[in-house]
Amino acid sequence: MADMLQNGGESGLTGRKDSHSPEVERLQRENEDLRQRYAESVQYIRSKINQLLTVMGTAPLRPEELDDRTLIELDPIGIISGSFSQVLEHLHETNEQLKAANNEIQAIFDAAGMGILVIDRSMKVVAYNAKLKDQFFPERDVSEGFACHDMICNLSSPLHECPFLQVFETGKSVRQMRWKLKGRYFDVVGAPIANLGEISGIVIVYMDITERVLAEEALRKSEERYRDLFENANDLVQSIGPDGSFQYVNRAWMETMGYGPEELSSLTIFDVLYPGCSECSSEFKDIVFGDKEGRIETRFFTKDRREIIVEGNINAVFEGGKRLGARGIFRDITERKKAEEILASERERLAVTLRSIGDGVITTDTAGRITLMNKMGEDLTGWSQEEAVGSAITDVFRIISERTRTCCENPVEKVLKDGNVTELMSNTVLITKDGTERLISDSVAPIRDRQSRIIGTVLVFRDITERRKMEEQLMNAEKIDSLGVLAGGIAHDFNNLLNAIMGNIDLALLSSGRGGEIQENLERAEKAALRARDLTTQLLTFSRGGAPIRKTASITELIRDSADFALRGSNSRAQFIFPDDLWKAVIDEGQISQVVNNLVLNAAQAMPQGGTVRISAHNIEVPSARAGELKPGRYVRITVSDEGTGIPHEHLKRIFEPYFTTKIKGSGLGLATSYSIVRSHEGSIEVESDVGRGTTIRVYLPASLSQKGKGDLDVLPVCPPGSGRVLLMDDEDIIRQTTGLMLQRLGYEVELAADGRETLDKYKEALSNGRRFDAVIMDLTIPGGIGGREAMELLRGIDPSVRGIVSSGYSSDAVMANYRQYGFAAVLAKPYRKDELAAVLQEVLSGGAA
Amino acid sequence: MQNIEIDIRGQVCPSTLLFALKEINAHNGELRDKSVILSFLTDNRDAVVTIPESASNMGYAVSVTKREGYYVIEVRKD
Repeated sequence: MADMLQNGGESGLTGRKDSHSPEVERLQRENEDLRQRYAESVQYIRSKINQLLTVMGTAPLRPEELDDRTLIELDPIGIISGSFSQVLEHLHETNEQLKAANNEIQAIFDAAGMGILVIDRSMKVVAYNAKLKDQFFPERDVSEGFACHDMICNLSSPLHECPFLQVFETGKSVRQMRWKLKGRYFDVVGAPIANLGEISGIVIVYMDITERVLAEEALRKSEERYRDLFENANDLVQSIGPDGSFQYVNRAWMETMGYGPEELSSLTIFDVLYPGCSECSSEFKDIVFGDKEGRIETRFFTKDRREIIVEGNINAVFEGGKRLGARGIFRDITERKKAEEILASERERLAVTLRSIGDGVITTDTAGRITLMNKMGEDLTGWSQEEAVGSAITDVFRIISERTRTCCENPVEKVLKDGNVTELMSNTVLITKDGTERLISDSVAPIRDRQSRIIGTVLVFRDITERRKMEEQLMNAEKIDSLGVLAGGIAHDFNNLLNAIMGNIDLALLSSGRGGEIQENLERAEKAALRARDLTTQLLTFSRGGAPIRKTASITELIRDSADFALRGSNSRAQFIFPDDLWKAVIDEGQISQVVNNLVLNAAQAMPQGGTVRISAHNIEVPSARAGELKPGRYVRITVSDEGTGIPHEHLKRIFEPYFTTKIKGSGLGLATSYSIVRSHEGSIEVESDVGRGTTIRVYLPASLSQKGKGDLDVLPVCPPGSGRVLLMDDEDIIRQTTGLMLQRLGYEVELAADGRETLDKYKEALSNGRRFDAVIMDLTIPGGIGGREAMELLRGIDPSVRGIVSSGYSSDAVMANYRQYGFAAVLAKPYRKDELAAVLQEVLSGGAA
Repeated sequence: MQNIEIDIRGQVCPSTLLFALKEINAHNGELRDKSVILSFLTDNRDAVVTIPESASNMGYAVSVTKREGYYVIEVRKD
């Protein structure tokens, strides 16, 4: 249309240029107007196109670029409109996408497991999600415009140090860990929202970590508790690496081992093991590197090289199938071990003690079952410990009453019943396994534990069969002893009386003259008195245990008399063999008589059917080369042989033991006394016996070196009349009178004294008068006064050359046996005959005995 | 995918843009269903700015590759 307006207008209007008709003019004007309006329209279009091009971001059209026709044909508006519609379409799509994205974000915002808060620059709430509401204000809704410090922190204004203020300042995110808000813990992150180069707000995310914190707290507490447990444990806790180095040890470990924490890094398990204990080390290597685990007892060496014994458990530590080391918990049991060792040695000691104890010991449990029996228990019951343990006490320890032969109540059962210590009656008989009976005594005591509960019994018993026998023998011996004392006392008094009787008979015989009936009567009385003297001698010998009063004597008559006396009334007879030149022996006649008596009596008793007892005596010289029991020198050997039953070999050694006897009524003292007498004579006694053929006993007695005064002691020579002054001391008036008369008849001048004091006075007086006594005869015992022994001492003080003769009915007294030691010149045993008195005085006055 | 090459070398702005937009509009449907890529060859340096800006506003992906004496502006729908 623009072309048409331009071209058509020019050609049309120029053709009719000369005729300016009004119509033409109108048309010209109209054309001009249209042309004007077209140009305006094109201008408008161009300006709109330029406007659109500018919107599209490009340069406006240049006027020369497109002519109006091309412009219209190109249709830029149409093109740009088409492009706009695509731009719009694209925007629309983008919008849709944004909406979806927004929805997505909103969903995430709402579904997020953590609280999200968006605030603006003035810290006002822009948005928040449901979780945040749950976390901080579940009870109410908060409208936008509220301040976050009001909602979250419960503060009227933000804190000066509020971390989110920094976000606005720095533009960087902040992270706040373990922030405690409203009683719960949060990890909080604030991130800036940048908008057109400036920070318009902050997104704050609150992650509730309360559960985690509490769990951590609980874990920490639990760990603390365990650490506390380990650290305060008294046991030694250690953790070892695969190379044996220590990874952890507790306080008790360090205290016990003496190492400080700083020393542990250079220490290995092998350093604390005893270096000499190779198996300890390998044992630990087994544990650390091998498969061995479990309970272990070993030794550790402390820093100061002290050895301790430990017991504990070891466990290997694995991670991912790989061995990382070993854990161990140990306990120091050194003290316990020591105690165990002491206990074991104590137990051993007790066991040895129990085994070697001389009594039978049995222990039982509370059911009366045997738990232990010692060696002596085995011997006495006949049960072995193996058989007895577990058996009932009543089976093993079977007892009956000795008197009634009935069962007694078992003492163990009694103790278990009443809990008291029980002593058994002494007349209890134990029947052993093989039926042998043993007389026993025993006691049973309860065994109690620390709470005093009875946990068993202990039975102690012993065989008293032998003891009973000993007791009986002892009783017998005591009886004999008391009889002896009695006999000794009687014999003393008797001797004094006999002395008077015999002295007076002697005196009467002197007065009566030879021949005639009176002399016969007196001689018979004298014989009877002599028999009585023998009897008292026997009594005294029986009662004495003292030293012999030895004299040189011929023993043939002594042997004959004693043997005949012993065989009197038996159906055996004696046969004597004595050589003519038999030496005299130095003996106590009474004692040796008793020895012969015993030997002959035994010989006769060994031949119940009767037989011959052969008795002989010989001279024996013992050379120094043969000195054994006997000293070298000369001896008289008396041999007594029988044809009797003989002595069994096992008895031979015991026949001299006191109270050993095989005879039903024997005292067991005969041979013992004989042995003692022979030994006290410095002799010896030998036995030789064949069972069934007889016994021979040989007694060696020392022979007298001087064989002076051969002939029998009993046959005294007729004494020449004596002369001299004799002082006689005796408390018995009758002795003083009789002996005084005897002395006068023997030709002596006599003075009498009743005690030591009077003796001393008279001796002093005589000495001062020049009428010294030639001999003083003193009784040994003066009741209530100075006796012979003391008087002799005093007399020697006055006159050292005094000649004293001691006299006593107690011939067993030590002074009588060893009179010389006490200063006496001779001894005179009561009762004595005139002749004996004369002989002793003669010997003393002649100086022979001095 | 068809690559239609449109040579608009020798033209200057804004007509280069208008030509490009006209072609884009013409191939609107094919571009959208991703059957066509349009490659404009231009020696006008301004067009390297204007065409990509307009095409991206319309929702297209645009890449510019410099060649010897001209540029290739590739328009496609992603």
